[in-house]
Amino acid sequence: MGRLVSLTEAAGVIGDGDHLSLTGFAITRNSVALVHELVRARRRGLTVSQVIGGMETDLLVAGGCVDRLIYSGGSLDRFGSLNAVNAAALTGRLHLTEYSSLALLLRFHAGALGLPFAVTTSMLGSDLLPPLIDGGDVRTGTDPFTGQPVLFLATLRPDVAVVHADVADADGNCIVSGPTWSIRDTAFAARRVIVVAEALAETGSLPPDAVVVPAAIVDTVSIVPHAAHPTAVYGRYNFDREHLEFYMASTRRGEAGYADYLDRFVYGTADHAGYLELVRSAA
Amino acid sequence: MTATPPSPPVTWTRGEMLAVAASRFVRDGDIAVIGLGIPQVSALLAKRTHAPSARLLLEIGVFEPDPVEPAMGIADPVIWRDARAFGGMLDVLGYMLHGGRVTLGMLGALQVDPGGSINTSLVRAADGTVRRFNGSGGGNDIASHAARTVVVIRHDPRRLAAQLEFLTSPGATVRGRPRAAFGLPGTGTAAIVTDRAVIEVRAGGALLAAVHPGEDPAAVLADTNLPLSLSPDGVATTSQPTGQELRLIRDELDSGSWYTK
Repeated sequence: MGRLVSLTEAAGVIGDGDHLSLTGFAITRNSVALVHELVRARRRGLTVSQVIGGMETDLLVAGGCVDRLIYSGGSLDRFGSLNAVNAAALTGRLHLTEYSSLALLLRFHAGALGLPFAVTTSMLGSDLLPPLIDGGDVRTGTDPFTGQPVLFLATLRPDVAVVHADVADADGNCIVSGPTWSIRDTAFAARRVIVVAEALAETGSLPPDAVVVPAAIVDTVSIVPHAAHPTAVYGRYNFDREHLEFYMASTRRGEAGYADYLDRFVYGTADHAGYLELVRSAA
Repeated sequence: MTATPPSPPVTWTRGEMLAVAASRFVRDGDIAVIGLGIPQVSALLAKRTHAPSARLLLEIGVFEPDPVEPAMGIADPVIWRDARAFGGMLDVLGYMLHGGRVTLGMLGALQVDPGGSINTSLVRAADGTVRRFNGSGGGNDIASHAARTVVVIRHDPRRLAAQLEFLTSPGATVRGRPRAAFGLPGTGTAAIVTDRAVIEVRAGGALLAAVHPGEDPAAVLADTNLPLSLSPDGVATTSQPTGQELRLIRDELDSGSWYTK
């Protein structure tokens, strides 16, 4: 059973220049603990793909780890926009590629299935389309049966995907409660899957009908309580309103704001337990 | 002798009027995908009042939630409360929406044009600097595939635009061309509901169909940058919010006044 590893070891699976897929959604189930490790390790040159960006995406961009982001937009819901992502895109430091949610999901889905491409009629007529065609991963075409316009979407296969689970066993079977948005399609598309779980279950003890990601596609498992803080995990803990508001206030100040936030909460803490302790004492 | 005390005058905010006016576009029996913001309040309000058989879906993978307090967005687990089923995005945006089963999309917008196309991506300031917002999310998919779409937006000349700075999601017409010409199904945006008026989107252009109580059609027109004609049947007045609608908004669906101020 070599799959149970520390979070630092898990972060080591992701190398400079790799294509990493994240699976949080806005203020829910973000792999914040793992992203902190990547920022601390000063990982560089990542391509990140994710259907809806959130806190983890913004942190990773603020930490200077990301060159390219493929997503369908994102936010911290009513707390505000992805300020670090938006600022880095405007200065050109970050290359952004934006899809509709379903179009990007279908690229992962085709990757998971081993299909050469996916087909959709989303995004037709929109301004999302021209830059995607220029980028080469989307082509206009016609349905060979009806002659109607369709879009062909290139398959997407990330090097590594991260899954946040409520509970996992040491082999990597994962319980993800609540809605599961892009988690399964993204995990099945990836060449390697890193699991970060809130708690460990005895192998073989998980109810099979509740397993969302099976051990058969998992490479590493790390157990990290409150790994998604300050985002929410359904049925376990709510988002931390105060901390999200503090993060938004910091990032609204621009470059100096992210630098202060990262110095204090990420570079200034040795690990996730230290970060949680700092958050508790600062509250 | 006891005199009945006069009932206090019913008053409401513009945001409450917006949520109520939009909710009336949800038909009983609709299968609706709802976007972030005021659409959350409007669709849930409809479900609690005149459209109890409407089935509301969230792109994150939630079927028929029944929340009793306001949520920070569709990723806030508060809004998933008492859902009938959980699934993934492929279930909602794929099987339900792309599969042609969704009858109504209800979406917020940064900007909307006379064809009902939506910008949720970016705006440019007068000096040319760009400000980026949330992007498409599932908004483009919803506007592309729902049989009809209702856009819910604050009445502001900058938001009700003749031309969009970025066309994130297609309307009934796309920069003047019918959406079918692009291969898009359905009729697209049927109405634009603001906190002052109801604008119907027709093949010939946008029509001022109704103004909300107390609003003057000429004043509404003067505050609108998208070309708008007056309805040939005359401009109606939206019926005012009922006590029940206001109670549901104030006590449950938006008890913090986050959306309907």
